[in-house]
Amino acid sequence: MGVATESAAEPGGTRSLAPARGRALSGYLYLLPYLILFGVFLVLPLLYGLGLSLFRWDMLSTVPARFIGTGNYSEALGSAYFWKALGATFRFVVMAVPLTILLGLLIAVGIEAVPVRRQALYRAAYFLPTLITVTVAGLLWRWFFNSEFGLFNALLAPLGIKVPWLTDTAWAMRSVVIMTLWWTVGGPVVIFLAGLQQIPSHYHEAAALDGANGWQRFRHITLPLLRPVMVFVVIMNVIGAFQVFGQTFMITQGGPELSTRVLVQYIYETAFNNYRMGYAAAMSWLLFALIAGFSLAQVRLLRER
Amino acid sequence: MRSAARHPGRERGEMSVSRRAFLTGLALPALLAPGCRRSGSRQTTLRFWNGFTGPDGITMLRIVRRFNAQNPDVNVLVQRTDWATYYNKLFVAGLFGRAPEVFVLHASNILRFARARFLHPVDDLISGPDGLDSHDFDANVWQEVEVDGRHYGVPLDVHILGMYFNRQLFRQAGIQSPPAERAGFLEALRRLTRHPAGGPDQWGFVFTNLSSNVYTVMRQYGGAFFTEDFGRCVMNDARNVAALQFCVDLIRRERVAPPPESFDAWVGFLQGKVATAFEGIYMLADLQKQTELDFGGAPVPQIGPEPAVWANSHTLCLRAGMSGAELQAAWRFVRYLSNNSLDWAAGGQIPVRKSLRQTARFHAMPIQSAFARQIPYVSYLPRVTFTFEFQDELNTAIEKALRGSASPQQALDTATANVNAVIARESKSV
Amino acid sequence: MKVMEVRKTERTTQYWARLRRGLVEGMVALGAMLFLLPILFLFLTALKPDAEIIKFQSLVPHHATLSNFRQVLGDPEEIPIFRWFANSVFISTMATLLVLTVDSLAAYALARLDLPGKRWTFALIVGTLMVPGQILLVPVYLILNRLGWLDTPLALIVPAGAGAFGVFLLHQFFLGIPKDLEEAATLDGCGRFGVFWRIVLPLSKTALATLGIFTFVGVWNDFLGPLVFLDSVDQYTLPMGIALFQTSYFVEYGLTLAASVLCTLPVLMAFLLFQRAIVKSIALTGLTD
Repeated sequence: MGVATESAAEPGGTRSLAPARGRALSGYLYLLPYLILFGVFLVLPLLYGLGLSLFRWDMLSTVPARFIGTGNYSEALGSAYFWKALGATFRFVVMAVPLTILLGLLIAVGIEAVPVRRQALYRAAYFLPTLITVTVAGLLWRWFFNSEFGLFNALLAPLGIKVPWLTDTAWAMRSVVIMTLWWTVGGPVVIFLAGLQQIPSHYHEAAALDGANGWQRFRHITLPLLRPVMVFVVIMNVIGAFQVFGQTFMITQGGPELSTRVLVQYIYETAFNNYRMGYAAAMSWLLFALIAGFSLAQVRLLRER
Repeated sequence: MRSAARHPGRERGEMSVSRRAFLTGLALPALLAPGCRRSGSRQTTLRFWNGFTGPDGITMLRIVRRFNAQNPDVNVLVQRTDWATYYNKLFVAGLFGRAPEVFVLHASNILRFARARFLHPVDDLISGPDGLDSHDFDANVWQEVEVDGRHYGVPLDVHILGMYFNRQLFRQAGIQSPPAERAGFLEALRRLTRHPAGGPDQWGFVFTNLSSNVYTVMRQYGGAFFTEDFGRCVMNDARNVAALQFCVDLIRRERVAPPPESFDAWVGFLQGKVATAFEGIYMLADLQKQTELDFGGAPVPQIGPEPAVWANSHTLCLRAGMSGAELQAAWRFVRYLSNNSLDWAAGGQIPVRKSLRQTARFHAMPIQSAFARQIPYVSYLPRVTFTFEFQDELNTAIEKALRGSASPQQALDTATANVNAVIARESKSV
Repeated sequence: MKVMEVRKTERTTQYWARLRRGLVEGMVALGAMLFLLPILFLFLTALKPDAEIIKFQSLVPHHATLSNFRQVLGDPEEIPIFRWFANSVFISTMATLLVLTVDSLAAYALARLDLPGKRWTFALIVGTLMVPGQILLVPVYLILNRLGWLDTPLALIVPAGAGAFGVFLLHQFFLGIPKDLEEAATLDGCGRFGVFWRIVLPLSKTALATLGIFTFVGVWNDFLGPLVFLDSVDQYTLPMGIALFQTSYFVEYGLTLAASVLCTLPVLMAFLLFQRAIVKSIALTGLTD
């Protein structure tokens, strides 16, 4: 009786010892398929990469790999190119993430205020760009941004403005961010919209009856209830932004003057153009450490409030 | 990137949502699911890898199809990727025993691959019973595929830089023929550059491919890049600085060329807004699509004291370690490509077989013939194993100087120092 | 008197409220049109011949032609575009099925089963979310080479199952399912697998659909994986195939655009068709923890 109640209270768990081990083992069977894939295609390569980063293996030379300990790491930290690439990535993250989140939220709030029967239409419109592959999206925006014959400067010409979208080292990354907003804001819009639609309307009604205006309702009801969704979106966005590569590669190829050569592109070139595998692995691990640090800091920051 | 698969959509810094077409799509691909490659009974299958994308890719594909039709006992499978990825995959494949039987290399990369022992020397095959006449190749091109006394590939073509010019703009400016030397070149550019009030700019010249354009001028000034033994980089040689200064002056002093757009500068020529451009023969296919453009081709004017022009070649290489029937089949294929390089030329290339260039068919290709006149003095990039890093430094220096972020001397000084650091690093590994 | 004033104020307030709503919708609509403009540009430019494309004169083609499309669809041996499309669909579908199967089992184990060391396992799995994929490229290449899977769809399908995203997502969602439902099933004599199959999974349809969509699109748009692990043109996925219309020096604009339109069209239509179902599935109840 007691045993039955206890097992009922904890489904999947059990109190008696001998069956426990059997249950645990068979429980691991559920985990096994994933663990095999995870081990072979994630953990193993990860450890390999870590090991590789401690060696000097430049596939160029006919000399075999040589252990150099932290040599690659110190080279990276002392390399102007590494810091410049890291700077480019950073600039992208700092510009793209807040703008994407804010714009996504703004659009979602806007759509939510629209009569329900038309909401799906607008949602589809903002999401459509996300379905375009990076090659095509990059090509299109490269055209738009061209100083001489691009669409944007053609539209601004009557005002006498000619923006050096891709030719100025300060502007180039901004242009990439603008393209990224168009290309990726659809995701957050859809997610935020779902989150907004989940908030029971009687919360808003009750608050309105209490005399709260739109802005107050937004601040004190909407935002707090959106918090978990926001946390998730922000974190995933930051993690992804640190790994940006496709857009910069397609639109600017890292130029002008390497101002948009993000870290991932630099790592890729180091590994596959210059064949310096150990060095590339070390830089990848530095990037990992950075992302991990950022994510943990964010989780702590956003959860505390 | 797998990362996008594991963290879907993350590569762009975002998650995305989409359709459930997978339900509908399930049936279709199951029918079309890639099956195993059928290998013929007594057929030798050869894998031929190259970086020819775009119209070049189609041209080569058709040539291979004809070979397969004429040689039923050999089946050549063509695989093509863009050049950047191509080299990465080729080298990695070679390292792990998956190199294809026949593949294309740029002459500038032969050194690296030969030293890594990936290539089968072709001297015996050339001089053998079914060989080729090595004297039919241009001597300087044939020399480029030589490493440590042996030749490691059969040159297929030489893609030279040349001057494309807009005939209509030339006529309007009253210029009879394309300029051939410095004074005439500058004079022409001045007459061709116009900035009519309220109308579109017209430029005499535009820098399209920064490295090949400026490298050509540097070579014409006679500058050196490395010491004889390649022990030290001397890119900041005074003559290189002067050459780079000339290019900078075209933009800033003479104002006959616009500041470099990081991309798509070539489109200005296609639009008819630019009168001349230095570009490779491989642009011909793109030009021919512009049906409204009246263009011509001529050798690059000699701006410096020496004649020189940037070039590179596509070389057909054989994987090391082949023998017997496979080697014979591969050689037969390579020989076919070389003998039929006029078909390749028709797609916008220049063959390196002197005998083929003397045919009427080649003479009927005006642009190719004009560019081919420069073959005796083509200048390849310096042969170093760290060729990509060298080119990166050179390109960065050129870009900085042309954009005005640094003086030619400063830019080349920085590049030289960086390349010397690379040399030091490389020598430590030996 | 007062009543009429109140009514007038009510009407004025309503009038202003409606105006505000109209303005908001107007801005939303304007933004939507701006967002759609590049896509319209893509479709219209694909109808222009190359000579007209580079002139960038106007949105609408002067000499509209289908020649780009005819060239792209013309010779399947030279441009196996249907093949690429089929490859993309096949690979994305299989990868999605793999991820859904493997991840749901694992997430269930980690969320509901009593396993020794499961907290550490879960932490490890989630920690790998932050790993940049580049580190893995070369070692995975080596492993795939050893397995003989390079240049086959397996190279893109199987490694997709190693991602932690799905496990994380489903784990959070499973935690949110009320335990008494599972208890009731156990009391009825359901084994653990029975509970999983008959209670947990059906309740998780939305989360499963969400994961399925994310995975599908991620694999569909993946570029670097196919680039490195596939060699043969007829094994290529769509994004790679479209990239073949560029050389290092120029882009065949007409062909690239036409191919892009052909590839985007089915995806667009499927999305418009399914979007109601899709977005319903983005009920992120599992993430409100």
